[in-house]
Amino acid sequence: MSTQVWLSTLEQGLMYSLMVLGVYLTFRVLDYADLSVDGSFTLGAAIAAILISTGHNPWAATALAFIGGLLAGIFTGILHTKFNITPLLSGILTMTALYSVNLRVMGKANISLLRTRTIFSDFEKIPFIGSHGVLALTLATVIIVGIILYLFLETEIGLALRATGDNEMMIKSQGVNTDIMKVLGLALSNGLVAFAGSYVAQNQQFADVGMGIGMIIAGLASVIIGEVLVGTSSVARTIIAVIVGGVLYRVIIAVVLQLGLEPTDLKLVTALIVILALTSPALKKKFKLKNPVLSGKGEN
Amino acid sequence: MLSVRQIVKVFNKGTINEKVAIDHLSLELDPGDFVTVIGSNGAGKSTLLNSVAGNFPVDSGEIAIDGRDITNLPQHKRAGLISRVFQDPMLGTAASMTIEENMIMAFKRGHNRRLRRAIGSRERALFKEKLALLGLGLESRLTNKVSLLSGGQRQALTLLMAALQEPKLLLLDEHTAALDPKTAEKVLDLTSRFINGANLTTLMITHNLDHALAYGNRTIMMHEGRIILDIKGNERSNMTIARLLEMFEKASGTHINNDRMILA
Repeated sequence: MSTQVWLSTLEQGLMYSLMVLGVYLTFRVLDYADLSVDGSFTLGAAIAAILISTGHNPWAATALAFIGGLLAGIFTGILHTKFNITPLLSGILTMTALYSVNLRVMGKANISLLRTRTIFSDFEKIPFIGSHGVLALTLATVIIVGIILYLFLETEIGLALRATGDNEMMIKSQGVNTDIMKVLGLALSNGLVAFAGSYVAQNQQFADVGMGIGMIIAGLASVIIGEVLVGTSSVARTIIAVIVGGVLYRVIIAVVLQLGLEPTDLKLVTALIVILALTSPALKKKFKLKNPVLSGKGEN
Repeated sequence: MLSVRQIVKVFNKGTINEKVAIDHLSLELDPGDFVTVIGSNGAGKSTLLNSVAGNFPVDSGEIAIDGRDITNLPQHKRAGLISRVFQDPMLGTAASMTIEENMIMAFKRGHNRRLRRAIGSRERALFKEKLALLGLGLESRLTNKVSLLSGGQRQALTLLMAALQEPKLLLLDEHTAALDPKTAEKVLDLTSRFINGANLTTLMITHNLDHALAYGNRTIMMHEGRIILDIKGNERSNMTIARLLEMFEKASGTHINNDRMILA
């Protein structure tokens, strides 16, 4: 592959790893299979695209994309905690509702951002960065988000959030309102996912209403790849693993494309990667499938 | 201290599986009381503890601690007053988190959790000192994940966590039943040391009649959701297991057919 392809793969991988960090927050930290991700990724892209294409500030648009994702997560969280809808169904409901919402936001099925000002075009104007604007900004974002997430998970609230996913009964008896923790985790997760969506839209210079389809599985594949290869012995290590997984997943996809598969085959490839990871005994052992969501054994 | 007045709890109300788990039960605990609770399976012992802890609302009656009515308070809001150790050692700690992380969560019980770094050197020093009390060598393993500990170690840690932030009321739900006899003795010793050391008001469910009489200052026996025996002082110190069983049969009007209770 040419250097150009490698570079753009790396850029995309880093962008998607922002989304993977969000998926990690729900799937791993909260132990909650949140399918809203498919919708909130597009939501982020849609909000950023419509605002930017109508001449608004791209940085503000990106921030609003994040907030849009937060709201989507809160919606899923309320469906689950207040109305006792199962995690899977709550996510599916949000995802389905978001499809219409996203179309409303965009007003049409896709929006072009060609030759508009984006956060990347702003960054490219900085001296010495120039054509590496996308890489520089994305890398900086991933590092900052990774560090913030790590610091957050080590705070008193962060510990309560992790314990909610680990042992809800225990942390409840320590005086934590686990409903609030779940809503908080889902909000942050979907916020990150939408944030990633806005980056991806600005980088590829268009937003499409179908761009979030299969995102949850891609995120899951990335988390698994990272955890298996890098390990999960501490929170910091897991966060690094998740980011590495996000990048490696894009590399795998790039290689598959180079081998001559069509882009439309990618969802199948992604599903196969996850199936392989979940069925391979060696990986299974290393992966320690305690997660009921992934091991298919149901609750507890 | 703890005041339970005429509480009723019915499960599966209005179905053929309807079960009256707690039937107009009243109980008053004085500060520093260490009450052991016995009774056959299904007598309502755990339901009583769960009602006090707030796992579910009671159907009628009142529960108060230190004169404060907590009947309608959700579980997480009662946690500032009450701490618990469950029967299953896996339930009391978060396995994927470290010993010190588990301890800080218990240390913050009943306090607001904030957006600041949870563990500092001061907390670490305190936890080391407290863990040394267990005599299990855990004080040198602060950053180990709890999943690496044995059931006994986890239960000892849970107990320590329950006493870390002194509760008004300590609830022990057969907390040694899942441990091997030797470990169980050790955890029980720790239990009584902690309780006596801090003069904690305690409700302890046990299936072991020996323990029921050996520990604490008062013993209650439950049957079909009611308290059928409540002994303390001289009456209790003169009590034997054989007489306890006899009194159970007399009070409940049934023969004991529970192996666990006879053999214990």
